[in-house]
Amino acid sequence: MTIRVLPETLINQIAAGEVVERPAAALKELVENSIDAGATQIDITLRDGGRDLIAVADDGCGMEPDEMALAVVRHATSKLPDSDLFNISTLGFRGEALPSMGAVGRLSITSRAQGADEAWQIVVEGGHKGAAIPAALNKGTRIELKDLFFATPARLKFLKTARTEINHAVDVVNRLAMAHPGISFTLTADSRSPLRYDSTQGELLDARLARLAQVMGREFADNAVAIEAEREGYVLSGYVGLPTLNRGNAQMQFLFVNGRPVRDRLLLGAVRGAYQDFLARDRHPLIALFLAAPPREVDVNVHPAKTEVRFRDAGLVRGLIVGAIRHGLAGAGHRAATTVSDAALGAMHPASGGPALPYSRGGGGGGSRGLSEEVLRFQAPLSGAFGSGGMPLPGLDAPPMAAVPIYDADEEVLAAPLGAARGQLHETYIVAQTEDGIVIVDQHAAHERLVYERMKEALAGEGVKRQVLLIPEVIEMDEAACGRLLAQADDLAELGLVIDSFGPGSVAVREVPALLGETDIGGLVRDLADEIAEIGEALGLKERLEEVCGTMACHGSVRAGRRLTREEMNALLRQMEATPHSGQCNHGRPTYVELKLADIEKLFGRR
Amino acid sequence: MKLTIERAALQKALAHVQSVVERRTTIPILSNVLVEARGDVLSLAATDMDIAILEKVPAEIGAPGETTLPAHTLYDIVRKLPEGAQIELEGEGEGKRLELKAGRSKFTLSSLPTEEFPVLDDGELPHSFSLPASDLRALIERTRFAMSTEETRYYLNGIYLHAAESDGIKVLRIVATDGHRLAQVEMPQPEGAADIPGVIVPRKAVAELHKLIEDSDETVAISLSDTRIRFAFDHVVLTSKLVDGTFPDYQRVIPEGNDKIMEVDCAAFAEAVDRVSTISTEKSRAVKVEIDKGRLTLTASSPEHGTATEELEVKYDSDPIEIGFNSRYLLDITQQIEGGTVRIDLADASAPTIVRDIADNSALYVLMPMRV
Repeated sequence: MTIRVLPETLINQIAAGEVVERPAAALKELVENSIDAGATQIDITLRDGGRDLIAVADDGCGMEPDEMALAVVRHATSKLPDSDLFNISTLGFRGEALPSMGAVGRLSITSRAQGADEAWQIVVEGGHKGAAIPAALNKGTRIELKDLFFATPARLKFLKTARTEINHAVDVVNRLAMAHPGISFTLTADSRSPLRYDSTQGELLDARLARLAQVMGREFADNAVAIEAEREGYVLSGYVGLPTLNRGNAQMQFLFVNGRPVRDRLLLGAVRGAYQDFLARDRHPLIALFLAAPPREVDVNVHPAKTEVRFRDAGLVRGLIVGAIRHGLAGAGHRAATTVSDAALGAMHPASGGPALPYSRGGGGGGSRGLSEEVLRFQAPLSGAFGSGGMPLPGLDAPPMAAVPIYDADEEVLAAPLGAARGQLHETYIVAQTEDGIVIVDQHAAHERLVYERMKEALAGEGVKRQVLLIPEVIEMDEAACGRLLAQADDLAELGLVIDSFGPGSVAVREVPALLGETDIGGLVRDLADEIAEIGEALGLKERLEEVCGTMACHGSVRAGRRLTREEMNALLRQMEATPHSGQCNHGRPTYVELKLADIEKLFGRR
Repeated sequence: MKLTIERAALQKALAHVQSVVERRTTIPILSNVLVEARGDVLSLAATDMDIAILEKVPAEIGAPGETTLPAHTLYDIVRKLPEGAQIELEGEGEGKRLELKAGRSKFTLSSLPTEEFPVLDDGELPHSFSLPASDLRALIERTRFAMSTEETRYYLNGIYLHAAESDGIKVLRIVATDGHRLAQVEMPQPEGAADIPGVIVPRKAVAELHKLIEDSDETVAISLSDTRIRFAFDHVVLTSKLVDGTFPDYQRVIPEGNDKIMEVDCAAFAEAVDRVSTISTEKSRAVKVEIDKGRLTLTASSPEHGTATEELEVKYDSDPIEIGFNSRYLLDITQQIEGGTVRIDLADASAPTIVRDIADNSALYVLMPMRV
C-alpha cells in the first residue's frame, strides 16, 4: 500500500463530517457568518427540513467576487486578521464551513460587497467550484445550500424526519437570536408557521430581556432576576429564573460565551451548584447567561462545532457564576413565581369545564400542579359554609381571633409585601390581605424554610463540627479520582470531611461531619469523587448536611393543622419578608401564592 | 399431637424464641416456630437463617408430634390469655390445622409442614469453655453500646470475642467499636478459652443473648468454630453464624502516651454533661471540656438556644487542655462505669482519649474527640 495525499474534495467531505453534521449545523455556520458580517436582518428558509434547501440571506458587508472564490477554499477566512488563534472575536474562525458544505451539497453564494455596484454569484457542487458570474442582489449575501449530502449518501440516510431536523434548526436560531437581540431573524420552514424575532433596540439588558421573552416565553421574562457581575475581566450578565419556575429537564438553560452558544459541563454544573439548595435534584431552573471573557482566557477551538469551550481559570468562572446567581436570587428575597398564581387563577375559573391553563395539565410548570388542587380544596368548604350557614371559619370566629377586629385596616401592615393576616383556613393556609390583592401562605412550607434558613446560617456561622475517627477509613479508588478529591481537600475540610492521601489509589478519611452521625463514609466519598469528575465540585457533602438540616427543620416547624393566632400569622409573614429565599421550599415548591385584586375581579367578571 | 402447658411457662419460652423471628420475611417458614412434643418436654425452635434458638419446657404430653406455627401470632395469643390459664394444643398431624384452647377461648391455627423448617448445620465446634451467666452479662453490657450500626462496615456490626494477654495474665476479651469510640472489657480466661479464634458475634445475636441471660445465674457453655458460635444454658441453646470479616487491629488505636490524667466523680461528671448538653443542637450534641488545675469546665452552645456552662472540681495537675466531645458518647461511657471515680487520660484536642473506672481495671474505653 502506498501513502498518498487525499484529493481536496475528499478532504472537504471528511471535514464536513464534523462541521456539517446535520442541516442545523450547516445553518448554524451560515447564520454565524451573517452575524460576523455585521448583518441586522437575517432571513432563513428551509425546505424539507433543510434537505432540499437551506437559504440564508443577510444585509451584511458582503464579499467581492475574488473573495468569494477564496471563501470556498478550505482554511480561507477573513476572521483571523492577525493570525492569532488565541485572539478570536468572531463566531467563526476555522475557515472550514463553506468548503465543507460545497463538498457535500450544491452551494451557491450570491453577494454584493458594501458600496459595490454589482452582485456576483459563485456555485460549488459536490466540491467542484464554478467561476464567478454576475447576479442580481440588492445588499449583503445570500447563500443557498441545495441537496445537502447528495455527495455523501451515507450521511443522507442518517437524517431524521423533516420535523426533527427543523426543530434542531429552530433551536440553533433561537440560541443565536438570544445572543444577538439587535438582529432581526425570520425563519420559514415548509408548513411550519414562520418564526420571527424583530430586532429590539435600546439598552442591551432591556433588549436582551425582550428577546429572551420572545424565545423562552413571557413567563420567563416575568419571573427572571437580572444578573450582573464582573471578576478579573470576565463579565457575566443575563437572567436567571426564580426557583419556583422550574422544569423537568435542562433544555431551557442557555449559556453563551462571547456571544457563542455553548453547552458546557462546567457551566451547567455551576448553575446546578447555585440552585442546589432551592430545587430538588430532578428539577431544573430556566436561565440565560451571557459570559464575556477576555479572548485570551478562553479556548473555543475545542470542537469543530464550537459548543464546548475551555477556560484558563475554570474555578474563577465557576465561582463567578455561582456567586452571581446566588446574589441575584437572594435579592429576589421571598418572591415566588407568578406562574403559580396564574395556575391558581386558572384552576379557579367557573367549573363549567372552561379551558384550563397549560400549567395545570402537567408538562410545563411542574411546581404548580399540586397547588391548583390545593386551591380547589380551599374553594369548596367556603361555599359549604355559606350554604349551611354553619361551620365557623377559624379566622373569623375562633376565639384567638376575637380579640382583634378583622378590618382594622392597619395601613402599615397592609403595605407590607405579604400584607396583613386575615385568617387561617383549614388550619394550614394563612390568608393575608395586601394593598392590591390577597396572599395565601402554606404555613408549614413557609415556616420550614424559615427554620432551615436559620439553621444554615448557624451552620455557616459556627462551622461544621467534626468527629475525629478512631480508625481512619481507608477508601480505595482509582488514582485520578483520589487526585481530584485531594485537590479539593481544603474545601471538604471546611464542610467537616478531613481526608488525606494514603498511598496511590486510596485516601484516608480522618474526620467526618458530626452532623451526619454514623454514616457510610466510603459511599459518600466515592459519590463525591464522581461528582467532582462530572461537575467540578463536590456538592454532595453540602447537600447531605443540608438534608439533615432540612429534616430537622421539618420536625422543628409549625405543622399543617396547627391553629395559629393572628399575632403568630403576622409574625410569620414578617419573617418571610425578612428572610432570603423564603418564597420556595427546599424543593422549589412555592410557600405562598399571591392573587392580584385585578385578577380576582376578572374572575367575577367585574373587569 | 396433644399437650397441655401452663401459660406462664409457654409465654416465657415463646418470648425468647419469637424475638429471633423477623417480622417480615420472604420465606414463609421463617415466620414460624417449630413445635415439637416428645416425652414430657415441649421444644420450641425458631431461626432467621443466621441465628437459631431452641428452648425446652416441661409439658404434659398427651400424644407426641410436631408442627410449625406462626411465631408472632402464637406469642400474641398466649400473651393475651389470662394469667394461670392452662393451654391445650391439639392437632391431627403434620401440615394440618391445630387447635389451641384455654378456658373458653379457642383458636384454630394454620401450620406449615415441619420438613420445610430449616435445620442449621452446627458443624464441628472445636472450642468450648463455660462462663457464669453474670460474667458474660457484664462483658456484653459494657461493650454492646459501642457496636456499629452502619451496615457498610459489617465487620464492626458486632462484638469481637477473643483470647488475649493483659499484663502477663491470660484473659478473655471483648471489644466493640463504631469508629468513633471503642469499648474493651476483659475477664480472667476460663479453661478451654486459650486457643479460641478471634470471632465477631453479630449485633442481633448479642441482643438476643443479652435478653436470654438477663436474669439467669446459671453457667453458660460456649462452643465455637471460626464460623459459628453456640451458647447453651438453662434449657436454651442459641446458635449464631459469626460475622465473616476481620476486626481491625484495635490495639494500635489505643494510645499509650496519654499523660494528662484527670480524675473526677463519675456521677457528678455524667450529670453535668447531661445538663450542659441540653442546650446543644439536636444532632451533633457537642460539649467543650476545658481542664485546668483542679477544675473542669463544661460548655455547650447553640446559636438558637444560647450557652451553658458548668464547673466541676477534679484531680488534675498537668497543663491546661481544651477538647470537644459528643456528649452522648460521654454519657454512654460514664453509664458503664460503676465505681465512683472515673479517670480520663488525655493527650491533645485531636487525639484519642482513654476513659476508665479507677476501681476496675477490666474495662477500658477509647473516645475520639470532636472538633468544635
